[in-house]
Amino acid sequence: MSAWGLAWRTVISNPARAVLAMTGVAVIGALLFNMLLLSRGMLVSFRDLLDAAGYDIRVAGQGSALHRLPIADATPLADAIRRLPGVQQVALIRTDTAFAFVAGRERDGVSVTFVGTTANAVGSAWDLVRGASLPDTPAADPAPIIVNVTLARALQLEPGSMLRLRIGGAGTALPPVAYRVVGVGTSRFETMDEDAATTTLQGFDAAHGGEGHDEAEMVLVASRPGVSASDNVAAINRLRPGLRSMSNDQVLEQFNEHAFTYFRQISTVLSAMTLAFAFLLVATLLTISVNQRLGEVAALRALGFSRRRIATNLLCESALLVGIGGLAALPLGGALAIWLDRILRHMPGVPERIHFFVFEPRTVALHVALMTATGLLAALYPIWLAARLPIAATLRSEIVS
Amino acid sequence: MTPAAPLIEGRDLTRQFPMAAGAVTALNHASIRIDPAEYVAITGPSGCGKSTLLHLLGCVDQPSSGSLTFEGRDVARLNETERSRIRLTRIGFVFQRFFLLPMLTAWENVELPQAEAGVSRSERRTRTRELLEYVGLADRIDHRPSQLSGGEMQRVAIARALANRPALLLADEPTGELDEVTGDQIADLFDRVHADGTAIVVVTHNATVAARAGRRLAMNSGRIVAE
Repeated sequence: MSAWGLAWRTVISNPARAVLAMTGVAVIGALLFNMLLLSRGMLVSFRDLLDAAGYDIRVAGQGSALHRLPIADATPLADAIRRLPGVQQVALIRTDTAFAFVAGRERDGVSVTFVGTTANAVGSAWDLVRGASLPDTPAADPAPIIVNVTLARALQLEPGSMLRLRIGGAGTALPPVAYRVVGVGTSRFETMDEDAATTTLQGFDAAHGGEGHDEAEMVLVASRPGVSASDNVAAINRLRPGLRSMSNDQVLEQFNEHAFTYFRQISTVLSAMTLAFAFLLVATLLTISVNQRLGEVAALRALGFSRRRIATNLLCESALLVGIGGLAALPLGGALAIWLDRILRHMPGVPERIHFFVFEPRTVALHVALMTATGLLAALYPIWLAARLPIAATLRSEIVS
Repeated sequence: MTPAAPLIEGRDLTRQFPMAAGAVTALNHASIRIDPAEYVAITGPSGCGKSTLLHLLGCVDQPSSGSLTFEGRDVARLNETERSRIRLTRIGFVFQRFFLLPMLTAWENVELPQAEAGVSRSERRTRTRELLEYVGLADRIDHRPSQLSGGEMQRVAIARALANRPALLLADEPTGELDEVTGDQIADLFDRVHADGTAIVVVTHNATVAARAGRRLAMNSGRIVAE
């Protein structure tokens, strides 16, 4: 009988203990799997979100994250960037908050995130479910607008509906401006339960009284295929020094260093603790198992079984407990990750499409490697116990007891 | 005519066990020689050193002083792997408490040492069947120890001890946990094993078993006092 065969028969000879041990390892392994998913999940998800928008460079105005100045003379800047040889596409983004309502039902109005952009930017940021995108050419009055599903549901909007927006709060002097809804969809950057609407730059300016301020909160730039984003960033910085131009990689790096580092630290600590629990569980169970079988082990040694064979049997027992429990941990951990992800995505300010737990094949490989190492380490003390057993003394004491 | 080489020979064997209250001398300058196919019984009161001597002969323990050779090899010069190999292929052990693996069937318990010795599957199958028939348990091959009586378990243990055709069978109180009738059956089995050419050394309190042996050694206070 091979070492694996003997180990299997030993493990299942006490079914209750085996099931409890494997379940314990599965639960601990599920937690470990979750922590490993969390250690990179948000970063991976954020990268996917940035890349899916279709732009690899973001240009913002001077200032801090709390108070950033808008980019003045945005249109000439966009034109200059568009003329750079390595640039394929440029879009301007203006943002504000507004009060949206349907004529005659102002009491039912809602606060919305209001965005003005060039038409070509809409397709990469929005997934439309009804209607059409913003037209490329400036439309006649009323300006076209796309609303998200949440807003459409709140105000019962469909393509063709009329919507009024007033910039600012109740004390604003600006009159509401009418827009025609051309499309309903979801924005990649909207948070859960957020109401959002996007119109053309001309439509956005109209809501601000048509003052014609040529400003933008952000300029999005797409590099031509084969052109390095960092080269374009350098070229943009030469065009207008003082602006904050960052490639997606640089954005991610900043996110990783500042916002995400806390998640990573938490996941590292919790991963270490779960591994410690797994080690203690398996080491304790195996030690108890060996102590209950001292006579058996001594008899096997007396019959000529080598220390190596005894050690191999114990390693196989450990591998079975950790292996079966560890495999069961994957679907359990996956289900737990889905549940936790759903909870965390309700955090205020987090785009709905950001995920905290993202599955990557390397995570499974890391999980397997860590559980394997834990199983091996956990078997060391029981192996030492069994291998160093004084055969004659053990046989004698087993008879006496 | 030169005398046949002994199977195992111990000279001036002493075994001391360090204890908190002072060292205990379990075996005190004992010398013994076992020839091939010999049947030796060792008797004596509890604590006289019988099992200690048996453990030394079985290379399970090492003497504090004295020399021990097995088939001409100085056991003290062998490493643990070599001693394990001797125990696996040249010596068979039968214990008072059987020590069968409870999760394996009778068949699997007998087959296990053969697999450890590297015997091929077909040879193991043949040998295992042969041994279980030899000990009268051909109809109990799929039974686990918990499904066997004490005598049946001991017969499986004897079959296991003979699995790799050892030159020497060592038995430590093999009938100690059996009734008289069953003990006689085990003694009959030992007779057969001896008749088939295996040397046997049995430590026993059982007069019937001792009487079957060709040579009887009496021990007291760690010494062989009569033969």
